[in-house]
Amino acid sequence: MPLILHHLPPIHWFVAGAGIALITLALLFIANRRLGISTGLEDVCSYVLPVPYFTRDAVVSARQWRLPFIAGLVIGGFVSAVLGGGWAPTWDLGIFDQVIGYGPAGKVAWMFVGGLFIGFGTRLAGGCTSGHGIFGMSNFELPSVISTISFMASGILTTQLLYRVIFHLGS
Amino acid sequence: MALLYLVLGVIFGLILSRSGAADYNYIQAMFLFTNFQLYGIIGTAVAITAPGIWLIKRYGRTVFGRAIKIELKPQHRGNIAGGVLFGIGWSICGMCPGPIFVNVGEGKVYAIAALAGALAGAGLFGAIYTRIQTTFRLPRLVVGTGDG
Repeated sequence: MPLILHHLPPIHWFVAGAGIALITLALLFIANRRLGISTGLEDVCSYVLPVPYFTRDAVVSARQWRLPFIAGLVIGGFVSAVLGGGWAPTWDLGIFDQVIGYGPAGKVAWMFVGGLFIGFGTRLAGGCTSGHGIFGMSNFELPSVISTISFMASGILTTQLLYRVIFHLGS
Repeated sequence: MALLYLVLGVIFGLILSRSGAADYNYIQAMFLFTNFQLYGIIGTAVAITAPGIWLIKRYGRTVFGRAIKIELKPQHRGNIAGGVLFGIGWSICGMCPGPIFVNVGEGKVYAIAALAGALAGAGLFGAIYTRIQTTFRLPRLVVGTGDG
């Protein structure tokens, strides 16, 4: 299956997994940082929302590393597009276009609602795929195992419901 | 150090972009059990990170000689409730937080809406934290100046 991005072939899962592991370990070994991206959402919020949750130590003290790291993610995506065939704004959304088929306005609404779940959910759970799924699981932390099982199960249920029950994906 | 974090972020972004981890179709295929790619990525990442963390903790220091002290995430009812909500969002958007940023960089316009939603959701959580604290048995906030 090609990627949506320029229909490029994906790199092998082992290479990707090993690369993610090396980044995670580099952050810990070089700077004593635990990988975690959703907390970066708080870092951004902390600049505009002066409520205690965003002004607490754990947020303010980590802005200096998490914000450059997140900026790197955006640049990484940009470089990937440039090297893979050129950067251009796109609305392509793969099977969403084939099966659900909403236009730009529908996609914006769809994504905003999904984003709300992501933002609120990851904060309530205390982490996302990176902080709980990769770092926490690798460090055998029980809250991370519980969270990872919860978001994997609910992701599976939601997609199965969306693509096998509500909108019909051809087999 | 900011430059180091930026570089690590760029490499991480490139991997997410080219592996399928930031690709709507691959996320849905993972949840539909029609493709192994994402399970392979997460499984490999954990299989290598776990012994790596163990070794680093055993060594006890960073390359610069600072003590390794991993801040543990608290356990509470929000782990399950938040996990379930996040899973719904991950499925709807086909992106988890890291890939949202990567997709914005790739030029996928709708990812900006996902980012706006995620920031609004996180903002909402922060704003009502003290009101839902007891319900989910969330930890008390430590507010003040940190040591970084």
